[in-house]
Amino acid sequence: MEVDKQKVVDSLIQQFEGNVGNIEETYGLTTLQVRKSSIFEVIKYLKEEQSFTLLTDVCGMHFPDNDPEMQFAVVYHIHNLFKNIRLRLRVFLPADNPEVDSMVDVFSSANWQERETYDFFGIIFKNHPNLVRILNMDEMEVFPLRKEFPLEDGGRIDKDDRFFGRSIHNE
Amino acid sequence: MSNGSSITLDAPPIGIEGQGYFLTSLDQVVGMARKNSLWPLPFATSCCGIEFMGTMASHYDLAQFGSERLSFSPRQADMLMVMGTIAKKMGPILRQVYTQMAEPKWVISVGACACSGGIFDSYSVLQGIDKIIPVDVYVPGCPPRPEQILDGVNRLQELVQNETIRRRDSPEYKALLRSYGIDIK
Amino acid sequence: MNGTIDYLPILIQFVVAFGFVVTTLIFAGIVGPKSQGVVKDLNFECGVESVGNARAPFSVKFFLVAILFVLFDVEVIFMYPWAVNFREFEIEGLIKMFFFMGSLLLGFFYVIKKGGLDWD
Repeated sequence: MEVDKQKVVDSLIQQFEGNVGNIEETYGLTTLQVRKSSIFEVIKYLKEEQSFTLLTDVCGMHFPDNDPEMQFAVVYHIHNLFKNIRLRLRVFLPADNPEVDSMVDVFSSANWQERETYDFFGIIFKNHPNLVRILNMDEMEVFPLRKEFPLEDGGRIDKDDRFFGRSIHNE
Repeated sequence: MSNGSSITLDAPPIGIEGQGYFLTSLDQVVGMARKNSLWPLPFATSCCGIEFMGTMASHYDLAQFGSERLSFSPRQADMLMVMGTIAKKMGPILRQVYTQMAEPKWVISVGACACSGGIFDSYSVLQGIDKIIPVDVYVPGCPPRPEQILDGVNRLQELVQNETIRRRDSPEYKALLRSYGIDIK
Repeated sequence: MNGTIDYLPILIQFVVAFGFVVTTLIFAGIVGPKSQGVVKDLNFECGVESVGNARAPFSVKFFLVAILFVLFDVEVIFMYPWAVNFREFEIEGLIKMFFFMGSLLLGFFYVIKKGGLDWD
């Protein structure tokens, strides 16, 4: 399995010279960083040539402390069921224009997963058939999982600040 | 097997008792009839719904108080039991279900999430269903034990017993509903 | 000798029961409080907006099966008195019943040939 995974990673590097890099292994899961312009080709190649037929998850991340070019990230978890190889692909997006191609043509499961990522981070997926909110109320205008969004609901007037660590004594 | 003193009978309504008759007011009689046949609409969303399942089962037996027939249609239910976390996206649906119930109707809010949002003080959870519908009885707990849910139903039964029969037609009640945005003529 | 007049109490009891139900329903409907609203009077669709009409056309095969069942069930009902009085009717009754069943059997063959009982 390790040999297979190394072979897949090597073939990826060889196929997508310069667009794939930054290979790390965190807790046994190999993570690659992919350039935004070629992520669609990478995932298509993985599905068709390397039989990675399961797109486990598409999720987003927000790094407000990074450079403005690398503030948002879309993370794809993709799995080869035949050889039991799991890969994680990361695409970093700029803060002012977080757009990336939609994977709906390759994996149908990406439909709702990308809607969820849009709902919580505001990342636009180009060519998505129906990019609307899926879990939050349709009328919501903000993107809740961005770091600037407050953690607690703003409508409560009865909260005692001492219980939330916000009083003058434990500030 | 057991001595009879461990059984307590429910108190009769306020009235005058005599040989073969019982004189009371129509409010009391109607209240007694209604309180002993409150048919619930179990709006069970989360863990409190599982506790409700335990309450309806034979050990704690909510049906002993008259709530024999559950109905998931608001047209055929008397009391709406909201059990579980209500997300903000679920709010309008809960409001619609409450509006479509036939009068007289009562609401029990079971569990911390339905009463006040519970531990979920966040962007997605409605901080208490009394922000959208009028509530009669609150049962706190996370989740409340079946005995607590039974106690909540018993408190509601007291409310039902003492309610005047013209209350649902009164302008105060209609103003209450309008204050929640429920448009009743 | 008891006449029909002995059954009068049953009629009175029926009238009283039926009349009580009807009277209380009408009285409660007139005297009771009313509550109407736009949202309240909408069709119930589990709390969401209802889309489209509930009247959708459905396949005729359900109707055919039900109607054919009714017809042949009535035929069987006609066979019960014959079964009870089988000996009294002798050969003549047998022939007549065979005529009856034969004509219905013709109809059955027609239905089979026309594919009336095909489920797909």
